[in-house]
Amino acid sequence: MNIQTEVNIPHISLVGPPNSGKTTLFNYLSGKNYKTVNYPGATVEYSICKLQDKFGYNANVIDTPGLISLLPGSPDEEISINSLYSHPRFGTPDLIIVTVDTSQLSRHLLIVKQLLSCHFNIIVALTMLDILKRKNYDIDSEKLSSLLNCPVIKVDPRTGSGVIELIEKVETLVNNKVPLNKERTSRLDERDSFNDLLATYREIEAIENEVLIKISPINLTKANKRLKILINPEAKIECKEIDRTTLKIDKVLLHKVWGIFFFFIIMAVTFTSIFWLAEPLMNMVDSLFGFLSAAAFNFLGNNWFGDFIAKGIISGTGSVLVFVPQILILFLILGLLEDSGYLARGAMLIDKPLSRIGLNGKSFVPMLSGFACAIPAMMATRTIPNKRERFLTIFILPLMSCSARIPVYALLIAFLFPADKSWMGGIMLACIYIFSIVSSVAVAGIINKFKNTLIKTEDNSSFILELPAYRKPKLKVVVTNTYHNGKHYVKKAGPIILGFSIILWFLTYFPNTSPKIDTGNLTKLQLVESQNAARLSSSYAAEMGKLIQPAMKPLGMDWRVGVSLIAAFTAREVFVSSLALIFKVTDDINKDFQNSMITAMRKAEIDGTGQKLFTTSTIIGLVVFFVFALQCLSTVAVSRKETGGWRIPLLQLLIFTSTAYLLTFITVNGLRALGFS
Amino acid sequence: MKTAAELKFGETGIINEIDESHPSSRRVLEFGFTPGQEIELVNTSLFNDPLAFAVRGTIIAIRKGEADCIKIT
Repeated sequence: MNIQTEVNIPHISLVGPPNSGKTTLFNYLSGKNYKTVNYPGATVEYSICKLQDKFGYNANVIDTPGLISLLPGSPDEEISINSLYSHPRFGTPDLIIVTVDTSQLSRHLLIVKQLLSCHFNIIVALTMLDILKRKNYDIDSEKLSSLLNCPVIKVDPRTGSGVIELIEKVETLVNNKVPLNKERTSRLDERDSFNDLLATYREIEAIENEVLIKISPINLTKANKRLKILINPEAKIECKEIDRTTLKIDKVLLHKVWGIFFFFIIMAVTFTSIFWLAEPLMNMVDSLFGFLSAAAFNFLGNNWFGDFIAKGIISGTGSVLVFVPQILILFLILGLLEDSGYLARGAMLIDKPLSRIGLNGKSFVPMLSGFACAIPAMMATRTIPNKRERFLTIFILPLMSCSARIPVYALLIAFLFPADKSWMGGIMLACIYIFSIVSSVAVAGIINKFKNTLIKTEDNSSFILELPAYRKPKLKVVVTNTYHNGKHYVKKAGPIILGFSIILWFLTYFPNTSPKIDTGNLTKLQLVESQNAARLSSSYAAEMGKLIQPAMKPLGMDWRVGVSLIAAFTAREVFVSSLALIFKVTDDINKDFQNSMITAMRKAEIDGTGQKLFTTSTIIGLVVFFVFALQCLSTVAVSRKETGGWRIPLLQLLIFTSTAYLLTFITVNGLRALGFS
Repeated sequence: MKTAAELKFGETGIINEIDESHPSSRRVLEFGFTPGQEIELVNTSLFNDPLAFAVRGTIIAIRKGEADCIKIT
């Protein structure tokens, strides 16, 4: 499927409020064969597919983020709405399919009425008829069609019933349409939007009363028990009752005391499973690439080309892929939580505390994603309507302990604790996470105090969110989305990390490619290792490292750590592979990598002083450094794109990195003053 | 006049008007809080803020400060 070449076929946009069955319909139309693309010039994602061949109609379908109104309330809504008027690549859609949940008719007809009044060509797809029937109601779709003056089709995207009919109607409409252009569609007038909305709702309510038909209740006694109806039969339309199971679950999950308890339990389970489930997979990826790298080196020989392929390309690719398991598992769990309806509740529970430090309940999901990677997390902030809260969320996201830090912490913790006491390492890792959360809260609080000087923008702070009915998550949908998210990460972050690891390889290999060393009495392996060491100590990287030696001295470290820290700006996990390069630990499959690494680190001494380089104090100092430092150029780039300028990313880089340096200095020297080596 | 923020847990009320001067009033309308609708306070969280209302067959969580623009009888 090549979408690039299909710009000239009709294109159909799928629009609808959140939870209206829009994505399920899209999945049915695409046969799950879609791709995720960015709107040109913006980082809002949308999915695009070609209709499945079995429908016999050649057209593109574009899914848009959920919209409840044509008046934008947040940055992502604004982009979605603009794209309906004029998509940068496809222009105005030939036709818009609007999904409408019939059990929520009055709310969901709002966008339908707005699209019609703006002269879009639309067709309404009515969904969730089973829920409506469970409430003893049915809908007269022909009447609705004539009242709205637009075609209406009943569909069930889960089973596919009605979809063929929908496509046939779409084809007829597109073939007979009056050509749409920018002049014909109009924008909603924002000036009197308040009264316009009231008027629209009055029209919708009149329509609703005409099209909803009560079917005789199966159980009369049950119906009679609903006293309200007997007393005042016209007080409310019965189908507006809330799902009882949802109310019951909410009694527990949103309970004043237990709600918070369950919130922490759910979060704790989420995080522990990210680590425990991902660990064996990450080890597999790691040893696979270790094996490939060693095999390539043996095959190609000890020359620059063999070294380049083995260490530059293969190890570089490995450092990209090693995080994929964690990212996949995080997105899988987030997807399950979202699909079940819990995430919206989590956001509600945490809105008040977050608003105290200038954030928003809607910062919750981005912050959670930040524990995998700050890049998708920053993109997820687009649902936050208030600009200042959104920027502040973006600001603190680099402090969330992203998965790239894990290999670094794993190495540093393993250095501190003996292997037989690995549980202490687990506690230490938990402490690091708590420390990073506490720090981000503190930073947000401080930045919020100086909000007017740091983040110059002010608008209405708001939190209005639909809490969808609880339901069993659809594993298939969640897995598909997880797959697309993972693919997206590899495509986006992969080339950057790989590119930098190639540059790093170059800097550590050249200019002294074949150093002259005494070859007497050395085994082949020893020869390679001494060559590596000699080459490195005279490389460009070492030259650069020696320049920053004065800055590393107060931290009790030397140029070798300095080079690794600089290399870590490409991606934090590069710190480990860079240390390995510098301490000439080869990724030998016959030896445990981490053990040989730690042995090498224990031997390391600061040149000329005889002082140990890695001690309890410097290791803890390094942990502190990694908690704060913004060592990720990709994050800086995304932050610039999302905030629309260099101001925020540069402030982040400056504030976080200088805080990291300062706190590391205090930690190392403080620990030494207290008697730790 | 009472506002939706003053409803007690499980209490219902009919919306009388939406305070147009409130900056969130348009959003409140778009989520379905319109005059004449019956709403019920179905949940409060730990801090009594945001509040969750049943309106038009769904549950909407909304901050107390924003629920203040919903006047009820």
